[in-house]
Amino acid sequence: MPTSLTLPALPAVSGGFLRRLNSERISSRQIPINASASTAEARPAVVESRRPAASLYEVLRLEKNASPTEIKSAYRSLAKLYHPDAAVQRRPEHNGDCEDFIEIRNAYETLSDPSARAVYDLSLMAALGGRNRRFARSLSMNYSSGFNPTRRWETDQCW
Amino acid sequence: MLNSLPMFLLMIIYVKSMYEYDTKWGMAEPAAYTVASDSETTGEEKSSSFPEIAIGVDIGTSQCSVAVWNGSQVELLKNTRNQKMMRSYVTFKDDIPSGGVSSQLSHEHELLSGATIFNMKRLIGRVDTDPVVHSSKTLPFLVQTLDIGVRPFIAALVNNMWRSTTPEEVLAIFLVELRALAEAQLKRPIRNVVLTVPVSFSRFQLTRIERACAMAGLHVLRLMPEPTAVALLYGQQQQQASHDNMGSGSEKIALIFNMGAGYCDVAVTATAGGVSQIKSLAGSTIGGEDLLQNMMSHLLPDSESLFKSHGVKEIKLMGLLRVATQDAIHRLSSQTSVQVDVDLGDGLKICKVVDRDEFEEVNKKVFKKCESLIMQCLQDAKLEVEDVNDVIIVGGCSYVPKVKNLVTNIFKGKELYKGMNPLEAAVCGAAVEGAVASGINDPFGNLDLLTIQATPLAIGIRADGNNFVPVIPRNTTMPARKDVVFTTIRDNQTEALILVYEGEGKKAEENHLLGYFKIVGIPAAPKGVPEINVCMDIDASNVLRVLVGVVMPGSRQPAIPVMEVRMPTVDDGHGWCAESLNRTYGATLDLVTLQKKA
Repeated sequence: MPTSLTLPALPAVSGGFLRRLNSERISSRQIPINASASTAEARPAVVESRRPAASLYEVLRLEKNASPTEIKSAYRSLAKLYHPDAAVQRRPEHNGDCEDFIEIRNAYETLSDPSARAVYDLSLMAALGGRNRRFARSLSMNYSSGFNPTRRWETDQCW
Repeated sequence: MLNSLPMFLLMIIYVKSMYEYDTKWGMAEPAAYTVASDSETTGEEKSSSFPEIAIGVDIGTSQCSVAVWNGSQVELLKNTRNQKMMRSYVTFKDDIPSGGVSSQLSHEHELLSGATIFNMKRLIGRVDTDPVVHSSKTLPFLVQTLDIGVRPFIAALVNNMWRSTTPEEVLAIFLVELRALAEAQLKRPIRNVVLTVPVSFSRFQLTRIERACAMAGLHVLRLMPEPTAVALLYGQQQQQASHDNMGSGSEKIALIFNMGAGYCDVAVTATAGGVSQIKSLAGSTIGGEDLLQNMMSHLLPDSESLFKSHGVKEIKLMGLLRVATQDAIHRLSSQTSVQVDVDLGDGLKICKVVDRDEFEEVNKKVFKKCESLIMQCLQDAKLEVEDVNDVIIVGGCSYVPKVKNLVTNIFKGKELYKGMNPLEAAVCGAAVEGAVASGINDPFGNLDLLTIQATPLAIGIRADGNNFVPVIPRNTTMPARKDVVFTTIRDNQTEALILVYEGEGKKAEENHLLGYFKIVGIPAAPKGVPEINVCMDIDASNVLRVLVGVVMPGSRQPAIPVMEVRMPTVDDGHGWCAESLNRTYGATLDLVTLQKKA
């Protein structure tokens, strides 16, 4: 399949142009799966996680103040849904794609390590501080409940 | 009957069916071609939901077994002699090979003729510079090396003629017999298998195993490192013990130590709610065979020089010594000292009392290595000895008192996990995985299991001089995708050589060469400017793809088309490849890692 690279490059959560390229390419052949997944499973998360998720907490469907035990158990439950092996079992039409699980795993790796989590929380604050417009806006749009981003009047105004 | 056919006939049948497959599907849908090519296990094939349950197969260095999920539990299949464990050997006779699954003759007797080939799991996918191949020269058949990095020459003595064979062929003969056994008992054709493999197997060795399966007409659904199959079985047992602890809190950590005749593997797994996360893996090519060889040279110090000529007489001598030593080691498991009495012929007699201390002293290095594997595994999992809830010892060597002691000593006298048959645990785990991976649902939730695997070896490229720079470190959870950015080492460098290695060595050549390709057309620029992004992707079926893209700073577009290469591409003769690449290109096309800008 020829890969087109005309997509206006989004600043992904963690960079690397090949990752963008990959997720773009894989998601293009993923479309029918997404549709069927949303009917098969209660959580419409397959579709959601296609876009760069707003935060690692969102990836694991957690509140920002989740405890380490909650993080671990969220990772397990999500692995049971999105690990390619489990996904094949639950949704036979699943084609063994790994994107979702890798994203879940990366989020878990950061959040399960106390020091990495602290650094990440700080960077999340900084991002919300307004350096990155797209990031901040998607957060504010997506989160109606739960964790309330530290938005200030100035940041809203200057963008 | 399939198992009475000579291998070459099987090959013809196989090639013929492949040919028909290709011509049938190749025209209409070119994409289907990859599914048909022999050793490939593509993820796509998995999706077309098989109604059949894949069988679990454990081809050990000395014994093999087959098991299947029978709908409510794992059942080990027995051969006509009512054995669950079958000896892994093949005897060549008048061009008709017969394996340990079906054949009736006693192993010990056949050892002496030179017509019996065994220990092939130790030799598969190895080149003749490998020390493991060299130590296999004392086997009572022909293992010849040229020491240039090609596959060794292996032959059986049939009617005073050396008949050449390969490890793949020998394994395929077992697999054909195991398949026939399973088909006869389950009364259905068998195509899908889950096979257990040692942790330390390189990707090249895995392709050789897949090749052997393809030769036997089997499709590999999954190749599972042995301790992770045990981990899955442990996960199932924990799940059955407490159905109500889904997810949270009650996570159990187990360390699995598996030592068979050929390999030693260690894994640390964290299990809760049927999900087993493999936290770390470690493995090495040490096992019962090393204990045996060390003991043989202890009993007959000049054995190696005696065996050099590989004549009929020497083979018989080697066979006799091997059988007597093996017997002594077995008896030393229950006795503290044993009498070895063997007449090797030609006036050569061994008459000696060997005690357990002597045996342990002779094999000191092997036991040291076992300890270091366990320590490394715990360290990689970032765990202390106290964090481990269960210690599981499996494999044939678990009967050796010293092995049991060294493990319990590390865990400060902790009682070992009971409830697993040391010889059957791996094949049972493979059978459970076979059922899970075939998409079988169990009404009682006994198959509501998931094993999240980790990569046993690091994968990376040669860069920063002659160094190995891992892109995917070892013990990375699979499926995985990681990338590292490299750059050119000289001004206007327009080409770069990507050498993909797998292993743990710091220097590139200490690792296993998986493949290589050249990036051409890098835009001319000062050194350090082009960004060469090397991305490695391992999917859930453990297929490795390497993607390389070149970006110039300030541009979002790749400067040249991205290269995507499926590994391994090196088929044979790794020693040759690495050396001649080095000779031809030297450091002219090298890369260095690009320091991340803040």
